[in-house]
Amino acid sequence: MSFLESKPGVALMEGDNLARHYSVGGGLGKQTATVKALDGVSFSLEARKTLAVVGESGCGKSTLGRQLTLIEKPSSGALKINGAAVGNLSEKDAKLFRRTVQMIFQNPYGSLNPRKKVGQILEEPVLLNMDRLGRKERQERVRDTMAKVGLRPEFYGRYPHMFSGGQRQRIAIARALILEPKVIVADEPVSALDVSVQAQVLNLMMDLQDEMNVAYVFISHDLSVVRHIADDVMVMYLGRVAEKGPTEDLFNRPLHPYTRALLASAPKIDPTQRVKSEPLTGELPSPINPPSGCAFHKRCPFATEHCAQVRPELRVFDGREVACHRVEEIS
Amino acid sequence: MALLEVKNLTVEFGSENNPFRAVDSVSYSVDRGEVLGIVGESGSGKSVSSLALMGLIDYPGRVTADSLTFDGQDLLRMPARQRRKITGKDIAMIFQDPMSALNPCYTVEAQIMEALKVHEGGNKRQRRERTLDLLNQVGIPDPKSRMTAYPHQLSGGMSQRIVIAMAIACNPRLLVADEPTTALDVTIQAQIIDLLLKLQADSDMALILITHDLALVSEAADRIQVMYAGQLFESGPADGLFAAPRHPYTQALLEALPERSEGHDRLRTIPGVVPGAHDRPDGCLLAPRCRYATDKCVAQQPLVEDYYGRDVRCFYPLDDNGQPTGRTA
Repeated sequence: MSFLESKPGVALMEGDNLARHYSVGGGLGKQTATVKALDGVSFSLEARKTLAVVGESGCGKSTLGRQLTLIEKPSSGALKINGAAVGNLSEKDAKLFRRTVQMIFQNPYGSLNPRKKVGQILEEPVLLNMDRLGRKERQERVRDTMAKVGLRPEFYGRYPHMFSGGQRQRIAIARALILEPKVIVADEPVSALDVSVQAQVLNLMMDLQDEMNVAYVFISHDLSVVRHIADDVMVMYLGRVAEKGPTEDLFNRPLHPYTRALLASAPKIDPTQRVKSEPLTGELPSPINPPSGCAFHKRCPFATEHCAQVRPELRVFDGREVACHRVEEIS
Repeated sequence: MALLEVKNLTVEFGSENNPFRAVDSVSYSVDRGEVLGIVGESGSGKSVSSLALMGLIDYPGRVTADSLTFDGQDLLRMPARQRRKITGKDIAMIFQDPMSALNPCYTVEAQIMEALKVHEGGNKRQRRERTLDLLNQVGIPDPKSRMTAYPHQLSGGMSQRIVIAMAIACNPRLLVADEPTTALDVTIQAQIIDLLLKLQADSDMALILITHDLALVSEAADRIQVMYAGQLFESGPADGLFAAPRHPYTQALLEALPERSEGHDRLRTIPGVVPGAHDRPDGCLLAPRCRYATDKCVAQQPLVEDYYGRDVRCFYPLDDNGQPTGRTA
């Protein structure tokens, strides 16, 4: 398959105007409505890099994760691996795709089958995708991967309930890694963990990236974690990209008013460091009935009449992409 | 005299012979108009200690304390009927998940009015007026129409405002907020914390803010208490506690935060996990995970002692440079 070979100058993973719309309501004479959970998102990810996707709940970041792993097919737009579109794959090619892109889920208490032993959980992807391997080789592969993520060999025959949250997330990471994917989509992988365990898991993810050359799409709402792990950051608001750029630039000088508000809302350990700004008023609007013009204009301190009418498109400004009409004036 | 004095509060579960101490001899006090922040990882006993304070620990849990005094009255040695008059009125609590703290079968109005009816009395019209006032006070837009809304019609941030309105309905003198913003987004978290601090300042109420978020507590609290595995490890004024931690655990927690490290370097971790019910060490509970631990730490449990105005449970409290003192290598 063409998407398996990397080509020079072509990004490992690329999203081109990805959209996912759901219809809701209906029944008993009610009108169906469309929720644009994801509405025209484009990005590109190079090998060994980490792209972070941040935003509040309901901004479409998890929906994006589901499109990237083809758990759901995008309503429109194209997902490309090594330049080749993977939207309509045959059963056989889809299997190859899944070996290339794997996922880590948020809640390690829900994502592991409680009736299976760790060994079985890790063996299953190998069994399904590498049917040439014999039983011995399979088990060897499982044990190798367990060693890589810091799970002791005697854990092979234990059940998930015998492990703490951090250990479970290691099992989930091992399961994602065992097929040696090129891209791992991690949906809030550390948000269910305590600070000290979170640091262990983040270190592990960074070590594995160096060792196995894997690229991450790191979905998170925790800005300090994102700043630490990501090369590029994409800030989403109501299904669209608000701002996208290299991590340090974006954190040092946020351009979009929403990015600024997000950064200002996060509490800081050293109170003197806090850029005290007016807290953002209001809440995320309903995606069923989004505001006209810029989706953010009702909460934005800089909004004008123009913002309420015309939707800003993503454009390049100062080495970054920003979707704001007034970025020149307010930066 | 402090508004709330807790001396050697202990909460045990399990059998009498082999009890598990979820909270182990914790002492603290809160003054009027003060914000006390309690931080710790999961399993540190921070929630259980506040439930014990509210009298919400059921059999087979056992609550004991040398004293648990609120405004001069000992809560543990008064009849249950009298205690119920204080909890819910003078001491109120906000729970972590606003979605499950509200009863899905009743309107917002009915739930707030219930608390008023029990503690304040008055007729229905007065209670309804007071409810409208409360919704205004906690910043609910269009409060009149929200009165008759059911919890499922409200967002998370809005539900938490309703829970806060319910808690402050009877003008409590002490408000216990257990992870009030953990289920919420950062922008909403900032709004809710600002609201709590404003209410606290306006009415000179005492506030106990329980959270796992070090940054949040460092911004909001006057005094901070760090807990680990049911024990108090360090407490003192918020000013300087995180700038110069005296306990190795506080130091290690801070170093594990991503914002404390530069660039993409590895984070400093605390190896291992919080001890559970069956693997508690004999000596200092942190000893297996502590980088400064000695044989003495493994064998003997340190007591809470005063160290330059801070309460610290450690044989070798840290100096200003973050190095352990009094340790012979």
